[in-house]
Amino acid sequence: MASKDIKGFYRQTKKKGGGGQAKAKDKAAPSNSKKKEWGGKHTGGASVGAPDPAQTPALIAHGSLDLVDDYGEEEERLRQFDMDMRYGPCIGLGRLQRWERAAAMGLNPPPDVARILQRPSAALECLWDGRV
Amino acid sequence: MAEDAEMGDGAAMLFHRKQSIYRSLDERYEIHGERYRGQQYSQIYFMRLHHMRNLLRSLVPKWKPNMPVNTVLGLEEGKECILVGTLYKHMKLKPSILDEYSKERSALPLAKPHNFIHHDDHLILEDESGRVKLSGSVLAPAAFVTGVVVALHGKETSDGDFCVQDVLEAGLPPQIELPIGPGEDKYVVFVSGLSVGSSEFNPLQFQLLVDHITGHLGDENEQSIASEIVRLLIAGNSVQISQGLVNGQNIAPKDHSKITEPLKELDIMLTQLVAAMPVDIMPGSNDPANFSLPQQPLHRCLFSGASAYNTFVSSTNPHQFELDNVQFLGTSGQNIDDLNKYSDAKDKLEFMERTLRWRHLAPTAPNTLGCYPYTDKDPFLLESCPHVYFVGNQDKYETRLLEGPEKQLVRLICIPKFSETGVAVMLNLRNLECHALTFSTNLEC
Repeated sequence: MASKDIKGFYRQTKKKGGGGQAKAKDKAAPSNSKKKEWGGKHTGGASVGAPDPAQTPALIAHGSLDLVDDYGEEEERLRQFDMDMRYGPCIGLGRLQRWERAAAMGLNPPPDVARILQRPSAALECLWDGRV
Repeated sequence: MAEDAEMGDGAAMLFHRKQSIYRSLDERYEIHGERYRGQQYSQIYFMRLHHMRNLLRSLVPKWKPNMPVNTVLGLEEGKECILVGTLYKHMKLKPSILDEYSKERSALPLAKPHNFIHHDDHLILEDESGRVKLSGSVLAPAAFVTGVVVALHGKETSDGDFCVQDVLEAGLPPQIELPIGPGEDKYVVFVSGLSVGSSEFNPLQFQLLVDHITGHLGDENEQSIASEIVRLLIAGNSVQISQGLVNGQNIAPKDHSKITEPLKELDIMLTQLVAAMPVDIMPGSNDPANFSLPQQPLHRCLFSGASAYNTFVSSTNPHQFELDNVQFLGTSGQNIDDLNKYSDAKDKLEFMERTLRWRHLAPTAPNTLGCYPYTDKDPFLLESCPHVYFVGNQDKYETRLLEGPEKQLVRLICIPKFSETGVAVMLNLRNLECHALTFSTNLEC
């Protein structure tokens, strides 16, 4: 598939910083109309190819949340961890178990997720648990 | 364990059975209290891809230096690159459960071809980002199956296919060097497909095997050879209980004996064997064990007589162990039989060689071969190369000594079904030489 079309398709024009915004893991600026580069350089070793192929724009909420649910930023961060394909599918594992598995595989999962999971308020099961 | 031999002049010679140091390496195949939580097989495929991808990526620079490694979504038309991913083979004739629902209920018996290969089969590569159809004549779909992880060198064509120019398989895993020494001859006997309880079972033939191995037959020459047998391995399908009885309905009391009789008979024979030497028994596809791989050990309560002995070992399928530092690995045949249904090779030994080169014991699991949905590992990945690789319940006895590129040496053994052929296999631990033991009860020679 031609990369040109993808870049055009995923042009992000309505990103304003806001609640549902995924914090892109390796890009600093929260408000970006940057086009995601597909097929760019890949990080070698254990991690998955192109930087952030898992954080496809389709999975990141554009703009602000339409519906403010009864979960906060912490849960949002944990959900982003669930959806990150670098660490494998999230169904069938507890979140902490998946984090530890990722650490054992050398994938360097983000330490802030581990910190959030230690708190009593954190849900230990993944997003789809009991719903699929 | 000693056998007596009568010499001509009446003096008895005592033979002592030789012994070997045995260590079972079956922990990776045992399932202890794992809970299924809805993951289906996504986790096991993820673990397999991750492990093999690291391995293949480390081999790529030596194979094709200066060639970039891409992901499927990063493909650019016309640009040569390397992809690493899992193969999926699209097969027209592969039976699909959905077909049974789409057709009308006209009780059409689904024709069961022995092999589902069709010349239209094509391969698709799937990696962590996407899938791409593979084309080009280098990759023959008949030689591959779904579930193998490979690295491919090629470029994207204008129709969106990936035209393959070269393939890299992981190759034989590293092997611990065989402890070859001017030691003594010690033998391991392999047998499979005893099928006690089936119509092909010949009790006299089995009894001949038992007597020969335990040293109750023959003159002192034969007995001295028998005393050098250190272990017996039974590779699956030891019983056969008629299928009509085990279809999930209640069994009438009069039929109870049809189920227990074969097991009791097997237990009697096993007791004779374990009294004489260490025996490993593996479950097979017809045995009372779980269906999906890895099959868990047959329960001790099935063998009330034999399990009293400490020489009785009930093991998993696949079975991995070490005997005097010689590494053994083998299955009761399900992995190779499944490869036989979905791919083509000149003989079963070639399938076995492929599984070693792909570094995966059962690549078609979980696609067409039942498998436990692990979340944290894929236990069929081969980390190290065995010295002896055996497969049970095959049609005929075949063996070959495989040599790898890094001086690995593997004895490949296809163990035939004993109830049909009367053939057991004897392996010499000292030099990995193999020969067949044939038992026949036919009076016409």
